[in-house]
Amino acid sequence: MAGGQIEIINLTKRFDDVVAVDGIDLHIPPGEFFSIVGPSGCGKTTTLRMIGGFEEPTSGRIVLDGVDMQHTPPHKRNVNTVFQAYMIFPHLNVYDNVAFGLRRRRTSKREVKQRVSEVLELVELGRLAQRKPAQLSGGQQQRVALARALILSPSVLLLDEPLGALDAKLRKQLQIQLKALQQRVGITFVYVTHDQEEALTMSDRVAVMNAGHVEQAATPREVYDQPQTRFVADFLGVSNLVHAEAVGREGAGVRLRLGDFEIAARHGVLDDRGLVTCIIRPERIRLEPYESTGENRIPAIVERVVFLGHSVQVSARLAVGQTVQAMVQNTGEAFPYQQGTTVQAHLPADALRVLGADEATPDDPEAARALNGERDGLSADGPPARGSSQPPDEATSAAGPERFTSQARIGDDDV
Amino acid sequence: MRARRYLAALGLPGIVWVALFVATALYALIAISVGGLDPILLTPVPAWNPLHWSASTLQEVGTALKPFSGSDWMVFQRTVIYIAIALAGCILVGYPVAYYVAIRARRSKGIILALFVAPFLVSYMLRMLAWVGLLSPDGWINLVLEHLGLMSGHQPLNWLSGRSVTVVCALIYGWVPYFILPLYASLARFDQRFLEASRDLGAGTWQTFLHVTLPLSKQGILAGTVIVALPMFGDFFTNALVSGTASTAMVGSLINTYAQSQTDQGLAAAGAVWLMALLTLLLLPYLRSSARATAEVAR
Amino acid sequence: MSGSGAVSPVPQSPTWSTRLRARPWGGYALAGFVVLYLVWSLAPVLIAFLFSFNHGNSRSVWQGFSTEWWTGPGSVFNVAMYHDAILHSFLLAGIAVAVTVPVGVSLSVFLSRWRGAAARPAGLLATLPLVVPELVLALALFFLVTKLLHFISLGTPAQVIGQVTYILPAVVVITRGRLASIPSGFEEAAMDLGASPLGAFRLVLVPLLGPAILASAIVTFALSIDDFVITQYMSSSSATQSIPMVIYNSTRGSATPALNASAMVVALCTILICGAGYLVYRILNRREEIVVPEAPAEPSGLGPAVGEGAW
Repeated sequence: MAGGQIEIINLTKRFDDVVAVDGIDLHIPPGEFFSIVGPSGCGKTTTLRMIGGFEEPTSGRIVLDGVDMQHTPPHKRNVNTVFQAYMIFPHLNVYDNVAFGLRRRRTSKREVKQRVSEVLELVELGRLAQRKPAQLSGGQQQRVALARALILSPSVLLLDEPLGALDAKLRKQLQIQLKALQQRVGITFVYVTHDQEEALTMSDRVAVMNAGHVEQAATPREVYDQPQTRFVADFLGVSNLVHAEAVGREGAGVRLRLGDFEIAARHGVLDDRGLVTCIIRPERIRLEPYESTGENRIPAIVERVVFLGHSVQVSARLAVGQTVQAMVQNTGEAFPYQQGTTVQAHLPADALRVLGADEATPDDPEAARALNGERDGLSADGPPARGSSQPPDEATSAAGPERFTSQARIGDDDV
Repeated sequence: MRARRYLAALGLPGIVWVALFVATALYALIAISVGGLDPILLTPVPAWNPLHWSASTLQEVGTALKPFSGSDWMVFQRTVIYIAIALAGCILVGYPVAYYVAIRARRSKGIILALFVAPFLVSYMLRMLAWVGLLSPDGWINLVLEHLGLMSGHQPLNWLSGRSVTVVCALIYGWVPYFILPLYASLARFDQRFLEASRDLGAGTWQTFLHVTLPLSKQGILAGTVIVALPMFGDFFTNALVSGTASTAMVGSLINTYAQSQTDQGLAAAGAVWLMALLTLLLLPYLRSSARATAEVAR
Repeated sequence: MSGSGAVSPVPQSPTWSTRLRARPWGGYALAGFVVLYLVWSLAPVLIAFLFSFNHGNSRSVWQGFSTEWWTGPGSVFNVAMYHDAILHSFLLAGIAVAVTVPVGVSLSVFLSRWRGAAARPAGLLATLPLVVPELVLALALFFLVTKLLHFISLGTPAQVIGQVTYILPAVVVITRGRLASIPSGFEEAAMDLGASPLGAFRLVLVPLLGPAILASAIVTFALSIDDFVITQYMSSSSATQSIPMVIYNSTRGSATPALNASAMVVALCTILICGAGYLVYRILNRREEIVVPEAPAEPSGLGPAVGEGAW
């Protein structure tokens, strides 16, 4: 069962004129629980299907335990798959489904019987061996699919959204069990999902894919806390994007100017100067009483308060114009700030991460607004004041005071 | 890849089959229609090479079909009129029946469906044979008419000698099951909740039918119409069985007559090519609308 | 139209869903129309059946009951023309099923699974006979056989070729419909578990296609038995007459009620065979229901109750 090292080198897959996978490189050591996560159409399933042998790469190589897989058809690879929607053969009962692979290897009847009952015990399906797939629940079907693949002792197990068809509660439960199973059998799992939470919960490492590229591949903590691109930050949960101007070094960090305010950031790309994009997670923003003082605090107005159960989601409009999302843990006490309250938004230097010189293109309306020094402003600001006080050309040449924007995205499952 | 080779091997016999017996066969038909005549036997000789094509046979048939003046124009006109009336008959008979079974019938549905399919298991020829017996001068139809006093004093009517009514009715009788089936399939697919929604919005039975059911079954009516119209254009046997005289001959009868004579087979081929050209023109709107419908479903 | 034309007399009421089921006047008229239709469509055939028991030579005047056309010297089983034609009809149908079903099913698998340029033109060509009048196809095949492929002789071989070509589109339509509901993931799963491509076809696709294969066989059989135009054009002599041809050639003549009897023999056998096939189809179809869970979740139903616990 050992082994299961995957080396993916410059892998590309083109369908007609659509590039599904665009020259990706991945190294997956033996025994790792590796997830590929990304939005639909990002190339994650295509990558998995190429590892399984169901798609032929347009170029690039897949090396499995040191052997190039280019000319190995799926049925000759020591790789098995748990398919999306399971693909349990509807005309065979549970026993025959699980025994299918062994029979293809001409295993003796006695051994088939013994190993099938072993693996059915492993997934607790022993009692249902004679059932037809149509008589099984979604969770049971998922376990049949798993048993059917595991019985062949593959060195790599590929899982394509294996929990996608289950309801949320069952999914949470099975995530933990799948992880435990992977640790028990000790083989490499390559797990494809569009659910970032699932990927973060289970994986040793996560690759975030977008538009055929791997944006970042690292441990869950790393991709969450130290996203390298705006896409990764955005995809793995809500994050606020802040445009600011980097003006100089400060200790171990960088000084950023946001309108009339200056704050410090301690992570990310600290050497770029000029316009930069920063991110900050909503749960790292702290809301404090208006009277509180200190570094990295910007006055704000509470615009909207949404109760989510485990936490409270607050939209706050900063004095420099843009709105940020803050996540406040529900500790059981009443939330002190109502809509319209003025507060101090504390953006700790440790939580701010500079992604480097501004990625925003000029046709991005938000960035354009920031560049023009335009601001939505607090309600006190009248429209005429804006246009006259900030001529566009001046704003582009010198750093305008309101070079500031933010963006919040709410992940699918939080809605 | 091996999977591809196996797929190709699966498809090969079928592809060879249709390439030979559909594509090449239709090409043979065209080759005959543009070919010449054997100088001694006077049988048609196919022109396989497009460089040797000659339009003379096609022209000959084209002239015969020329509107108003052509010698076969009457036959063509008659064909179109018969088929138009027969199609209208199919819709009038078939629509209510398909509508009832697809939407209204509940407990009796299974039995009615079985009886629906029965005509497909009884051959077309047997169904015509049955009518020939009933319509004979001494047959049961005349018997009934006599009993009802509708034929007093007259000779028994001979329904089977060149009567348009008989031919058109026979066409309807023969082909209406083929019209009902696709229409039924399309009506049965449609979501009954549309009807409930319409009723919910205050439309009555008749309004619901007119504004919801009928527009939604347009595709099914069209499909059924095409499915029966195509064979009707090639139908010569119905006509031969219930009439058999030149006064009711249709395009199909004409082509069939030519095909029976060794020396006229070129004319049969040319007639078939003309017919296909005409049908293609008639079919284009249908093909386009069904392609659109398919695309909508796929989306 | 005529039946449903009557406007429902029931006044507007909020219980619209029950009212749909209630049958006011329009509904009864419609039901009556359907009954009339069924009588009109089937009674003539039953009367033709009755006349096969006529005591006399007429096929239109009832002369009393007898079984002479079923058992006597002039009966369907004793006149060579009739019983040869019956046998020939069934022979053609048997061969047509044996050729059309495997060729059509495997072609359909190719058409629905092949990702490449060949699939579209092949699919169009395979279904082209659906939009060509049978007479045109018959003529085309007749010229192909007589002017080009001289090694195929008119008679049984040409008749089989013609019928298969004519019926193939129906098999392709039926099988492709079923294939559309079988995700290619099943074959991939089989290969993933070590089956060769051929093994995946044999062990997974063929069983899943079972109902479609059976339906194709039934339809092929019925269409072959019923076929007249192509069978006629591809025939060589009276030795290769099928029953529809015999009916066509002798209905307007002075044939005895043995003609009715011979037509009924074929019709009854067809009904029996197709009926039995349909019963098997129903059983197959119920057993092989394809279940593909869809995202988003199904209610957990059986799920957690049976040991959804830790494993």
